[in-house]
Amino acid sequence: MIGRSLAIAGSIIADAVRRKVVWVVIVFAAVMAIAIPSLPSYGVGVIEAVFREVALALIYVASLVVMLSLAANRIPSEVERRTLYTVLSRDVRRWEYILGTWLGVFAVMGGVIAAFCLTSQIVGLVAYGDPMWRLWEGALSILLETGVIAAFAVAVSTVAGPVIVVVASLGFVFVTHARTGLLGGPDNTLWNFYPSLDTFNIINPVAHGTGVDVAYLLLMVGVFIAWVSVLLLAGSTLFEKRDV
Amino acid sequence: MERAIDISGARKTYKAFSGATHEAVADVSLAVERGTIHGLLGPNGAGKTTTLKMLLGLATPTDGTFQINGQKASATARAHLGFLPEQPYFSPQLTATQALVLYGRLSGQSKRDTVARIPELLERVGLAGRERMTLAKFSRGMLQRLGVAQAILSNPSVAVLDEPASGLDPMGQRDMRNLMLELRDSGTSILLSSHQLSEIETVCDEVTILNSGRVAARGHIDDLLNVEGRTSVRASGGEELPAALSDLVGDIAVSGGAWVFSIADADIRKVVDVLDDEKWRLLSVAPMRDSLEDYFARLVGGEGTEVAS
Repeated sequence: MIGRSLAIAGSIIADAVRRKVVWVVIVFAAVMAIAIPSLPSYGVGVIEAVFREVALALIYVASLVVMLSLAANRIPSEVERRTLYTVLSRDVRRWEYILGTWLGVFAVMGGVIAAFCLTSQIVGLVAYGDPMWRLWEGALSILLETGVIAAFAVAVSTVAGPVIVVVASLGFVFVTHARTGLLGGPDNTLWNFYPSLDTFNIINPVAHGTGVDVAYLLLMVGVFIAWVSVLLLAGSTLFEKRDV
Repeated sequence: MERAIDISGARKTYKAFSGATHEAVADVSLAVERGTIHGLLGPNGAGKTTTLKMLLGLATPTDGTFQINGQKASATARAHLGFLPEQPYFSPQLTATQALVLYGRLSGQSKRDTVARIPELLERVGLAGRERMTLAKFSRGMLQRLGVAQAILSNPSVAVLDEPASGLDPMGQRDMRNLMLELRDSGTSILLSSHQLSEIETVCDEVTILNSGRVAARGHIDDLLNVEGRTSVRASGGEELPAALSDLVGDIAVSGGAWVFSIADADIRKVVDVLDDEKWRLLSVAPMRDSLEDYFARLVGGEGTEVAS
């Protein structure tokens, strides 16, 4: 069964490689990473920390753009062009299609984020003589968070067009990062029930501290699996009921 | 023995946000016997595509049962089915081989097996030597042929073909008909939806005609088209028909210097004797047969509620 999902994922990866927007964002992000050391805020004594923070922010934004360009329009365009007919008329379950679509987007994100991180690491090494290995912890957290957002985008795209998917996904990002602003702190009784992606926000310890330990990385992976499972299940349920 | 395809009491109603309902398919039942080609005919909006989509799991039926090879038409049952949609679309950056490998993997075939089959498959659909050509360079007809290739990639026992000759030139249409007959002869059962009545008439063993979401007629093509009790005669020999025939003949036409007319079966002997006496040349005597076009037009033009068999 997973073979069919992997086949669909493979087609999405192949398609992403040919998409200009993906390459434009990658090149732009690489140029920006190279340009970070020339920013005027440097020279205040926290050069490497600021570099790491800006690099991670850049990776996050660039990967979000790439993810939305891949996930928002995939299913709507396949429905519109009726390419789904030759897929779903086979021995392919709809959940396999949803899973394969998400896996493809997630795999592309993995490659893109790894490339961004490597570029930032090389720039950091050349500019400051510091390999900045902790950047990879930040990159992992970004991958996991964009993976969750991609699952949300794929789920919404089973019933909505690309514009609505993009708006809803950005709203999802905003809402899932607004817990502190809306609820104040853990003392609020709703704190533990609020859908939040704050678990993945480790920019501070990565940029300014000593990173996070293995237990926290495993916690992030657990939260990621829970979010993705729920969202893909919801997406599959919605898609199951849809006429294509 | 179970049928290749069995649809019973299919119904599909769409509901708008306003609450208004639209019945795309009101009541459709059809059966495709094994090793036959079954034509599905109907004007636009008759419910053909919706019926096929319900069979293929692309639309949820409001009511009805759908079976493929005796099994409920689930994803598992569709493992034995190949489908060619109308105007198939493929990712233009893929090569023919890449596209077929993808569909092979979706059908549970290994890449190696699919790649090994591709040259023979492409030759069969008239795309020999196009393995490495990107689909962006394919013409409309070539994409149609590739669509057929993906439909028969896994050697399905049942094939559903929606307008297979669409976009093909006359030679391509002939090739497509030959391919369908070849598939049938090798045991594949085919449900063929087509607007091309000549195609249906040439290759189909049975047809079902839909109109307004219901079955307007179904049966063997000969039973539907043969005009009971009438015989068609073709003869040549004069500027006017012999006077003795004037009360016996109908549907008179002149084509290529020959007279074509219909007579009652009971008058065959008498008419042949008259033509013989008048030294006319008898070219053919055959059961009178409607053209499918005439039959179809008559049926959907106002008599479309009767099931013919």
